[in-house]
Amino acid sequence: MILTGPEITAAARDGRLRIDPFEPDQVNPNSYNVRLGPRLLTYTSPVIDAHRPNPTRSTEIGPDGFVLQPGELYLGHTLEEVGSDTFVPLLFGRSSVGRLGLFVEITAPIGDIGFHGQWTLMLSPVRPLRVYSGMKIGQIMFFVSVGSLDLYRGKYQSAAGPLPSGYWRDLTATGAANSVAEVA
Amino acid sequence: MILTGPAIAAAHAAGEISIDPYEPQRLSPNAYDWRLGETLRVCSGDLDAATPTAYEEIVLPETGLVLEPGLLYLGVTYERTGSERYAQLINGDRTTGALGIWVHVSAPLGHAGHAIRWTLEIRAARPVRVYPRQTFGKLVFLHTFGAASSYQHHGLKYTDTDGIGTSRLYEEIPGGPR
Repeated sequence: MILTGPEITAAARDGRLRIDPFEPDQVNPNSYNVRLGPRLLTYTSPVIDAHRPNPTRSTEIGPDGFVLQPGELYLGHTLEEVGSDTFVPLLFGRSSVGRLGLFVEITAPIGDIGFHGQWTLMLSPVRPLRVYSGMKIGQIMFFVSVGSLDLYRGKYQSAAGPLPSGYWRDLTATGAANSVAEVA
Repeated sequence: MILTGPAIAAAHAAGEISIDPYEPQRLSPNAYDWRLGETLRVCSGDLDAATPTAYEEIVLPETGLVLEPGLLYLGVTYERTGSERYAQLINGDRTTGALGIWVHVSAPLGHAGHAIRWTLEIRAARPVRVYPRQTFGKLVFLHTFGAASSYQHHGLKYTDTDGIGTSRLYEEIPGGPR
């Protein structure tokens, strides 16, 4: 079951979910509109390596906005910290943003119960697109879960700002050494 | 909870779900298999969230149209769908995905109270020919939890969309259209 807007508001008030800052006028009938934060990260090496930490460059979106280019991947973030120890969150771009040809997340709209923090957005436009800090970019919906709870304790907990992929953190020391050897 | 095909049929018969035109053979085990509409808007320029989008509108010929990678196409569902009781989720289907077509980039959510022909945000991985009224995706219906709130009473932007809607995000950007 998907939460209605009034239930999202009630749950934000009684603590079953947390959205900070919370603005009542960003509540929709079945979702909440989240805003784009000011920081963007781009990977700087020509090839992203799943097994290694990848260097990034940080950009602040100025008052005149920032033009996203097709073919580039921008890691952005929500202005809001969003999470719940009760409900399963799902994040997508808003339709107004999709109609501008902007992908706001890639492949992973489902959040974990127990994750709290700013959500990293995976921005990739179909056409060059100027975006603005603070614009309402995404929608988070919440689903009722079934079963006992095992809260998120993962590597992105309490994220502040955009976070690059941490796949390399999951590798064992041996696995990492092997991957380095393969590259060498 | 997601409605099964028979539950969608029952809700349609009870007037809790509207699908127009409605064809019972388009019901699948837990979805309704919707079709691509007959027009597309092609966006080939640079876009700005603070500015209305320029586009060219094309009527899809019966012989089909080749979608090109790198362009943004806004389409529309052939069906108008709505429900005051259930929320809706729209997606492509496995067949369309295997052709390398993204049919919907943004939130697949139809809020309770939506009664629309859905605007589609279409992107192709490879050149691919599409045809008017071809089956394009699946629409599922979800039970909601909590006091109801209808999209029709929110003063939101796309309450009665009957065609392709370009983005009206520029209405929200401080300073208005540039």
